[in-house]
Amino acid sequence: MSVEAINNQPKQSALMAVLASFWFEFKQNRGAFYGLVFMGILLVCAVFADVISPYSEIEQYRDALKLPPVWVEGGTWAHIFGTDALGRDMLSRMIHGSRFSFYIGIIVIFICLTVGVMLGLIAAFNKGFIENCIMRLMDIILAFPSLLMALALVAILGPSLLNAMIAIAIVYIPHFVRLTRAQALSELGKDYVSSSKTMGASRSRLMFINVLPNCMAPLIVQATMSFSSAILDAAALGFLGMGAQAPTPEWGTMLADARQYIQSDPWMMGIPGLAILFTVLSINLIGDGLRDALDPKMKTSKT
Amino acid sequence: MFSFLFRRLLVLIPTYIGITLTAFVFIRVIPGDPILVMSGERSPSPEKYAELMHAFGFDQPLWKQYFDYVGNLLQGNFGDSIVTGRPVLEEFFELFPATVELAAFALFFALLIGIPAGIIAAVKRGTFYDHTLMTISLTGFSMPLFWWALLLIVFFSGYLGWTPVSGRISALYFFDTPTGFMLIDSWLSDEEGAFKSAVMHLILPAVALGTIPMATFARQSRSAMLETLGEDFIKTARAKGLSPFKVTVVHAFRNALIPIITVIGLSVGVLLGGAILTETIFSWPGIGKWMVDSIFRRDYPVVQGGLILIATIVIMVNLTVDVLYGIIDPRISKKGH
Repeated sequence: MSVEAINNQPKQSALMAVLASFWFEFKQNRGAFYGLVFMGILLVCAVFADVISPYSEIEQYRDALKLPPVWVEGGTWAHIFGTDALGRDMLSRMIHGSRFSFYIGIIVIFICLTVGVMLGLIAAFNKGFIENCIMRLMDIILAFPSLLMALALVAILGPSLLNAMIAIAIVYIPHFVRLTRAQALSELGKDYVSSSKTMGASRSRLMFINVLPNCMAPLIVQATMSFSSAILDAAALGFLGMGAQAPTPEWGTMLADARQYIQSDPWMMGIPGLAILFTVLSINLIGDGLRDALDPKMKTSKT
Repeated sequence: MFSFLFRRLLVLIPTYIGITLTAFVFIRVIPGDPILVMSGERSPSPEKYAELMHAFGFDQPLWKQYFDYVGNLLQGNFGDSIVTGRPVLEEFFELFPATVELAAFALFFALLIGIPAGIIAAVKRGTFYDHTLMTISLTGFSMPLFWWALLLIVFFSGYLGWTPVSGRISALYFFDTPTGFMLIDSWLSDEEGAFKSAVMHLILPAVALGTIPMATFARQSRSAMLETLGEDFIKTARAKGLSPFKVTVVHAFRNALIPIITVIGLSVGVLLGGAILTETIFSWPGIGKWMVDSIFRRDYPVVQGGLILIATIVIMVNLTVDVLYGIIDPRISKKGH
């Protein structure tokens, strides 16, 4: 026990040092920092949606239909972002909608990382037939434009937010498989892997303990970028009526509802659209910051 | 070069079998009976049902159905649309020029603005220009396409009244469309103002569709340029006293082309995917809208055939990009990926 404790000590502080230098690099990037702040605020909204939002997100206030937001003439402080065509409070719907952004992003990334990394590692460790099967399967998925494939998959599975997320995840998996495989292959040629093999390490130990941690940096960047694309694609599916269904306050679905009032009440479309834009922009800024901090070679902003 | 091309084509065979298998399975994994789904609310009589089962070949064993299906595909028979009754391939070729026209102009717009923006940002790295250009391109990259398209409509069609909201040409004009490309056909026709109308209809959808690729090109060409600008041969070229323009465009840009061509190739998939949203919003009669409408109408033969045809385009483009690599950088085709 005590020997292990001593052994673990330097490892811990080494990890801390890595994290500290990573944070130092990341902080340098102002865009990434603001992105993180925005996502932090959004996370608070998502977690405490029930407490923060002034009204229920599905309650229809029939005496206040299509009320403009407070900064437009005719708006009131009672409904800061106004109300939609059914008299539902926009601010409350926006706050509740933020939950779906995280929900979509986290589920899609979870599926992609587990399935994609697993398949990528299997492909890298089983050269020949198995590798070929996996990689050709990924080629097939990549041959279809992602939104079209997702749309077709949702048509099969039935339109719902969960099915939209599964469809989007399936479409993104090939990127994770290719990345993991390429990264694992380059690691496999290195000395530390062969020495671990000589020491009699099992295949699963080689896969998960030796190789995988060294493949993580590009995977984290890819996961961040896929997080934002997943939000965009889910919103697009919602907009086409193939994602979240009414009265779910998902931002893309809200945009689809607002589309018929595009000329008369443009704010109804403006608010959810801006929210999607800022969320996706923030995640992309964080992604850029992560890439710069994790991979000094790929620096985009400063040198 | 030829053995490289041959190897690439060989790999396509299993991919293609997989694509046809995917499209084939598509119609069979839909929950419920495809015949009942296709006939909609009216449930068919038992005789009609058996007749339809036979007509679609659903009474045959699965493997035979698949081989019949592939056999038909090889003869260019993609089946008939349930809604219009016309051959899928015929409908595809009728609508395809509209999508090509839209995508080509979107790509043109994206390249015209994106690549110079990326080069300027790289050359003026760390300056005000760089930050502004990169902020704009990251915003474009993060833009929800359908929302952006609607914003453009609200501003340019609604507020300013400059461009029409939907379609490819004003309903005032009637002329033959031998090529299917509205710009060419309207140019050839003698109708006065037809060409202008076609251009005005094209601008807004092309800008909407081109925005995301444009942002990608700007970002990619900036980082590719930064990479090459740091190389020794650039220092040599500068030391030789070449003009900054020549160093940037002739020496650096040429060597930055490989990653840029990669993203251009990848953007074809993005454009075809984006065409789904753009065409739906602008009522542009191309294959993207056709696919969405068919998915909603449950016109499965069209969805099936369309998936295969669109996948074929994507594969062809990827192959072309691979061959282009070989031409730009002979080391790649020799190495044999």
